[in-house]
Amino acid sequence: MSDKPKIIVFCCNWSVYPGLQLSELLDSFADDSGVEYIVTMCSGRISPELVIEAFANGAWGVMVTGCPPGECDHEGNYNMRRRMTLLKSTLAQLNICSERIVLDWFSAGEAAKLEKAVNRFKTKITEYGPIDMTVEQG
Amino acid sequence: MAKPKVAFYWCASCGGCEEAIVDLAEDILKVVEAVDIVFWPVAMDFKKSYVEAMEDGALALTFINGAIRTDEQKEMVELLRRKSGLVVAFGSCAHLGGIPGLANFHDRESIFERAYKTTQSTVNPGEVLPRTVTQIDGIQLTLPKFWNTVHTLDQVIDVDYYLPGCAPPPDLIMDAVMAVLEGNLPEKGAVLAPAKTLCDTCPRSDTKPEVIKIKDLKRPHEILADPEKCLLEEGILCLGLATRNGCSERCINANMPCRGCFGPVDGAHDFGAKALSAIASLIEIDDEEDTSVEEIEELLKAIADPAGLFYMYNLPSSELRRSR
Repeated sequence: MSDKPKIIVFCCNWSVYPGLQLSELLDSFADDSGVEYIVTMCSGRISPELVIEAFANGAWGVMVTGCPPGECDHEGNYNMRRRMTLLKSTLAQLNICSERIVLDWFSAGEAAKLEKAVNRFKTKITEYGPIDMTVEQG
Repeated sequence: MAKPKVAFYWCASCGGCEEAIVDLAEDILKVVEAVDIVFWPVAMDFKKSYVEAMEDGALALTFINGAIRTDEQKEMVELLRRKSGLVVAFGSCAHLGGIPGLANFHDRESIFERAYKTTQSTVNPGEVLPRTVTQIDGIQLTLPKFWNTVHTLDQVIDVDYYLPGCAPPPDLIMDAVMAVLEGNLPEKGAVLAPAKTLCDTCPRSDTKPEVIKIKDLKRPHEILADPEKCLLEEGILCLGLATRNGCSERCINANMPCRGCFGPVDGAHDFGAKALSAIASLIEIDDEEDTSVEEIEELLKAIADPAGLFYMYNLPSSELRRSR
C-alpha cells in the first residue's frame, strides 16, 4: 500500500479546467504531488462508477467539481450533485467515510479558490490515510 | 454413445436454485434422457469420492450455485472445475454473490458474535464459537474455515458461463442445457440471458412516460401500486433500468419492483453504481438552483438503506467487494 496520498480531482472542462490551468496546482502536479486531474466535458459525465473505480484502484480521496448552480449549460452539475450525494451515503454504509468525496463548484477562472480547495482536501485526506482494499480468501 | 455426464453442486445458497431444476417439471425428463446426472448432493446419493475417482474433464458440464465462503466450498468447486469441461455459475449467488453476499457488510468476527452470542434466540452460556479444529477425548474434530468475505464463483475458479437470476427461470435453464448439448454456445464468459435491460421488455413500458421523474420516493409497502403503471413513475425504486432482462418479469407481474437479481448488462462493471446513478438522475427536485446539498441529503434519506438496495444481489462482485 502506498504511503503517499493519491487523490483524483474530476474537473469540468468549461468551468474548472481554465482555473486549473491558471493556478499553480499543475506545477506541483509535475513534481509528483499525488493529485491527478481528470477533465470531463461536463460534471454530469462523472458517474458514481468512476468514483468507485478510483477508490478500488487505490485513491485515498476523490474531488468532484463542476459549474456553480445556474452556470452549467446542461444541468449536469445538478445531476452530478444528486448522484454524489446518494453515492456518499451508500459508501458510508460500506465504511468509506463520506468526507473522502468532496463536491465543489468553481466558475471559470477561480484559480485561487480551486488551489485552496485542492490543498485543503489534500491535507485532510493525508490525515485520513489510505483505504485498505485487500480481500483475502480465508 | 455414452450420454454426457452432468453434475450439480451447491455452495452458499438457499436451495432455490435446486428447486429451479425441479421447476423444469416435465422438461426434466428430457434432460435426464439426454444426459447422465452423476453428482447432485441435494437430490441423489453420490459421494465426493466418486467425483475424485473420475478422470479430469470427465464431466461435460457442471452447474454450481451459491457463493463461496468456506474452505470446503473452495475445495469442492476446485475439484469440480478439474473434472469438468464446462462450469456454469448458476444463479445470482454464484454469478454475483447474491443475498449471502450481503454478509460482506460485516466480517467473520461480527457475524459470529451476532449469530452465536447476541441474537434473541441464542442460548450459548459457554460462548462457544465455531472452530476449525476441536480436541475432544483425544479425538480431533474439524470444521471448514468460515471466510471473512463472501466470494463469487469466478473469484475462486475459472467459470465458462453464467446463468443469472434468483433463481434462474426454467426457460433459460433449458436453453442453456440445449445449447451445451447442441454445441451451440456463445463466447466463453457470456451470460446466458438476453442482452437488454428489464425496462426494454417490461409489460408496463407502454404506459411509461417519455421522461420519468421521481418526486416522492415510496417504499413498496407504503402504497398499493397501480398494476398498469411504471413503478418508478409512482415513486417506487425499481432497478429494471439497470438490470439484465430474461427473468420473465416475475417481480413486476407480482406488482413488486425489480431488485436486480439478473445483474448488470454487458459492459457495466459495478451494478450498484450503475443503478444508483440511474435512480439519482430521475429524482426531481423543485428549484434545484437554490437547493443546498443538505436539503438534497434530507430528501434522499427516503432511500432508507441505499447500499442494501443497490448492492442487494451483487456486493461481492462490485468494485469494492466488501465493507472496508
